[in-house]
Amino acid sequence: MTRAEFLARIRGEMGKTRGLFEASPPTRPARPRERLDLLRRELSERWRENIDRFTREFERVGGVLHQVREAREVPEAIARIAGERQLTSVVAWDGDALGLDVAEPLAARGLTTSTAPGVEASAGEREQRRALAAAADLGVTGVDLAIAETGTLVVVSGAGRPRSASLLPACHVAVFGREALVESLLQAGLALEAWHEGAPPDWRGASINFITGPSRTADIELTLTRGVHGPKEVHAVFVEQGLAVARRV
Amino acid sequence: MSAAPRVSFMVTCLGDMFYPEIGEKIVRLLRSLGVTVEFPAGQTCCGLPLFNSGYHADAAAVARRTVALFEGAGHVVVPSGSCAWMVKHEYPGLLSGAERTAAERLAGRTHELSQFLVKVLGRRKFRRAVDGRLTYHDSCHLLRGLRESESPRALLRELAGAEFVELPGGDECCGFGGSFSVRLPEVSSAILDKKLANVEATGVECVVACDAGCLMQMRGGLSRRGSRVRALHLAEVLAGGAGEPASAAAPRGGAA
Amino acid sequence: MSEVAPVTPLRERAGQALKDTFLQEALTIATTKFIGLRREAFDEFPEGEALRDQARAIKEATLQRLDHWLEMLIDSIERRGGHVHYATSAEDARRIVLDIAKRTDARMAVKSKSMATEEIHLNEALEAAGVTPVETDLGEYIIQLAHERPSHIIAPAIHKTKGQVAELFARELGRETPPDPEVLTRIARDELREKFLRADLGITGANFAVAETGTVVLVTNEGNGRMVTSLPRVHVAVMGVEKVVPSMTDLAVFLAILAKSATGQKLSVYTSLVNGPRRGGELEGPEEFHLVLLDNGRIRQIAGPLREALSCLRCGACLNVCPVYRQIGGHAYGYTYPGPIGILLTAMLNGPESVKDLAHASSLCGACADACPVRIDIPRMLVELRKEVDERRIAPWPERFVFGALGWLLQRPALYRLTAPLGRLFQRPFVRGGAIRRLPPFLGQWTRTRDLPPVAARTFQERWADLEREGRR
Repeated sequence: MTRAEFLARIRGEMGKTRGLFEASPPTRPARPRERLDLLRRELSERWRENIDRFTREFERVGGVLHQVREAREVPEAIARIAGERQLTSVVAWDGDALGLDVAEPLAARGLTTSTAPGVEASAGEREQRRALAAAADLGVTGVDLAIAETGTLVVVSGAGRPRSASLLPACHVAVFGREALVESLLQAGLALEAWHEGAPPDWRGASINFITGPSRTADIELTLTRGVHGPKEVHAVFVEQGLAVARRV
Repeated sequence: MSAAPRVSFMVTCLGDMFYPEIGEKIVRLLRSLGVTVEFPAGQTCCGLPLFNSGYHADAAAVARRTVALFEGAGHVVVPSGSCAWMVKHEYPGLLSGAERTAAERLAGRTHELSQFLVKVLGRRKFRRAVDGRLTYHDSCHLLRGLRESESPRALLRELAGAEFVELPGGDECCGFGGSFSVRLPEVSSAILDKKLANVEATGVECVVACDAGCLMQMRGGLSRRGSRVRALHLAEVLAGGAGEPASAAAPRGGAA
Repeated sequence: MSEVAPVTPLRERAGQALKDTFLQEALTIATTKFIGLRREAFDEFPEGEALRDQARAIKEATLQRLDHWLEMLIDSIERRGGHVHYATSAEDARRIVLDIAKRTDARMAVKSKSMATEEIHLNEALEAAGVTPVETDLGEYIIQLAHERPSHIIAPAIHKTKGQVAELFARELGRETPPDPEVLTRIARDELREKFLRADLGITGANFAVAETGTVVLVTNEGNGRMVTSLPRVHVAVMGVEKVVPSMTDLAVFLAILAKSATGQKLSVYTSLVNGPRRGGELEGPEEFHLVLLDNGRIRQIAGPLREALSCLRCGACLNVCPVYRQIGGHAYGYTYPGPIGILLTAMLNGPESVKDLAHASSLCGACADACPVRIDIPRMLVELRKEVDERRIAPWPERFVFGALGWLLQRPALYRLTAPLGRLFQRPFVRGGAIRRLPPFLGQWTRTRDLPPVAARTFQERWADLEREGRR
C-alpha cells in the first residue's frame, strides 16, 4: 500500500463523520525559543526552591543528590562516589557538553576515564567505544533539563554526548547547574518545542531521554527491583554557581 | 416548595415482583413526611435489561410508554439507582422529537429515593428501624451513573442511635450486572464472594443498598452462606415519622 | 479477521481461571496494588482532572484532522532520513518488517515491549523467517520463555509467581535459581545485555509520535527501550495510526497523566524521544529508522461506533479496576488485548462476531470509564457491541427469542401482571424456607451459588389498592 492510498482511505472514513464533540489541541507557544529564554530568566530567581523540590522528587525515585558550589568541585564528588563503591573505570561526555573537563582530574584520582569524541568517529572506533562503555563502571553525563516536579533528568544525545554513558554502566552520574532547572513537565514541553524550532545544529543527535531514577521493574510479583537493563544507581551532582556548557542544546 | 409535595412512585419490576414490602415501606415513609404518593397504574419495567443487552428498539418502546405513564406526575421517586439512571440518562437518547422532550422533562423530575429525601425534601435525620451496626454498598449506577455517594451516607450517618462504618471496597461492583449474573454466573458469584467477605469483615449486622438488583445478589449470597448479616434496602432501615411533630415532618424546600 | 478465535468457550476459560488459586492470588495482589498507586498519584495531583479533559480533547481533535497530522508526521520523519511504511492488515505489517530484516541481513532482533507487535503476531513470523526475536522487557521475556501471551497490557507476566519464574529460568536457561526477584532480574539483565550488544535489528512499538517533529516516543521503565533504539543497526517501530499527536506541547499533557494512570509513577523511568536515525556524529544510534503505520481495523472506526476507543493510551488502568478482569485475568479473554478496553479492541481488530460472548464479560459497573485517563466511555460501547451482535443475529436465537418475548411483555401491562400468579404457581415446588435454592438445570444458573427470592405472595401492584386506602384514612 502506498502513502497516497493509505491516506485516501483515512480521508474517506473521515469524510463520513464530524466527530464526537468540538475539540481543539492546546494553543502552542508562537516563538518557543523566546519564551524559553524568558522562562529561564524567571526561573533563575527561583533556583533555590526548585533545587529543593528537585532533590525531594529525585530521592523519592531512588536518585542520590550531591550539591557543590563550583564546577571545579565536581571531579572530587564523582571520585568519592566511585571510591565508595570501588569503581575504577569511567566513560564521560566531552568537556564542551559537560561544561567542565573531568578526564584529567579523574585520572589524577586513579580513575580510568574515556571521553567521547566531539566529532564523527569511524565504525570501528564506535564499536570500540561501545565496548568500553559496556565495560565501564560509571558514566558521567551532563543534563539539558532537570525537572523539579518529577525529579527527572533530560539528556539530549549528540557528538560528545553519547547515549551509552547514561545507559550501559551500572552507575550514572549526571552533572548540572542551576540553569538546567525547570519546574514542571509542561515547562519541559516548552523546551521540547524550542529545541525543535528550526534546523538542529550539526552536532545534535537523534535521541532525547527523560530519565527518572534508576532502571527498574516490578514484573515479577510486583516486587520492585532496580538496575534491570539500565543503570542501577543514578546520582546527580548539582553545581550551585552553574555550568558554562559550551555546546548547549 | 409550597403545599404537600406530590410524588409518583415508580416501583420497578424487581421491586414489584420480589420486594413489595420495600415499596410499602417507601410509600409509608414518604407519607409520614407529608408527601402525597401516587402510583400510576400499568407500570411494568424501566427497560434497563433490554437496553443493557442491546435490544434498543424494544427498550425505546418501553421508554416511550413509561414516559407517557408518568406524564403530569410531580416528582418521580425510584427505589433503585439503576432504574433511576435508566430514566434520567438513557431515556432521552432512545427517543426523538416531542417524545424526547417529554423524556427530558421526566428525567429532570426523577430521583432515586435517597436523593429525593436529602436533596429535594432536605431531610437527613430519621429514627432507625433496625438494630445493629450498618455499612453501605455503593451500587454502580447510583455511584457512577448518577454520581451519588453522599445522600445515602448522610442518611445512614445521621440515623439516630445507629453506628455506621464504611465498607472497604464499598465502591466495587457486587457482581449482579443484570443478565451478566446468569450469563457468567461463576464470575458473578466470585465477585459477590469478594463483596460479602468485605461485608463480613466489618462485623456489621446489616449492609444497606439502594438498588434491588444489588440486594437480590447480596441477599442471595448471604442466605446461601447462612450469614447472620442482612442486606437491606435503605427504606428498611429508616423509620417513618409516625408520631413526629408536624414541623419536623414538613419538608424544607430546595436541595439539602 | 486478524486473530484466531479461542477453541474453548469464554465461560469455560473463565471457570478455569477461577479455579487457579495462584492466579487468583496474583490478580488480587497486583490489581489492588495498582489501584492504590494510581489513586495516590492522582490524589497528589490536583491538575490531573483538567489534564485528563485536555488529553481527551487532544485525541478527539487529532482524529478530526488525522490525515493532516499523519502527513506532517511522515514528512517530518522522511526529512530526518527515516522511512515510513503503510500496513493495512496484520499480514502487511509482518511482511514489511520481514522485508526490512531480510534486506538488512538481520539474524537476531531485540524487541522492546509492544502490544502492536503482539497484535500482529510478529514473533512467530520472524521465527519462521529465520530471524530470532528476543523479548527484552522482563515480563515479556518471561512469557516468551514460557511460550505464553501477555496477560495484562502493561505487566505481561503478572499471572506468574516468582517460584514459577525460577522454575522457568531453570528449565529454559539451564540456571538453577532461588525464587528471588532480585536474582531473577539480574539473570535476565546478564542474558539480555549480551543480546542487546549483538542484535542486528531493534523492534519497538510507539506510545506516541509527534507530527510536528517526526519524533517517536517510547515510555519504559527498564532501559530496554533505550537499548533497542540505540544499539542495533536498524530500528523498526510499529505503531497504530491513532497514536499520532500534533506537537510537543500535546505530548507533555499525555506524559503528565500516562504513567500515573498505569503504575502511579509521576513518570516512567525512561521516556525516550527518537528523532530518526543516528546523526550529528553521535556514537550510538541506528543507521536506519523505519516507522510502520498500522491500520488493522483502526481506520474503519474513525467513522465507526468504536471511534472513542482509538483514544486509548494502553495504560491498563481499566484492567486493574474491572471486577471481571480481577477475577479471571488476561488469558481468559482469549485474544491479544484483555480487560474492558481489550473487548473493544478485539472487536475493532476482528469484527463483532469475535466478541459475541466477550461483550457480555462485563457487569457494566463503569469503574473502567472512571479510571480511564482519557475518559473513554467503555460501558457505552460494550452496550453498542451487544446491540450490534443482536442486530446482526450473531447472538444465539434462544436468547434473542427470550429478550424479544420480554420486550413484548413489558409493553402489555395486563399480561405482565399475569406473570406474578403464574410465577407463584410454578415456583411452588422450589420454595423452601422462604427462598428458592434450586431451579431446574436450564434455569439454574443463579441458584447454583445463590438463593433466589420467591415471587411475592402479593406484588406491590396487588397491594396498591389497600395502600391507597390506607393513605386516604
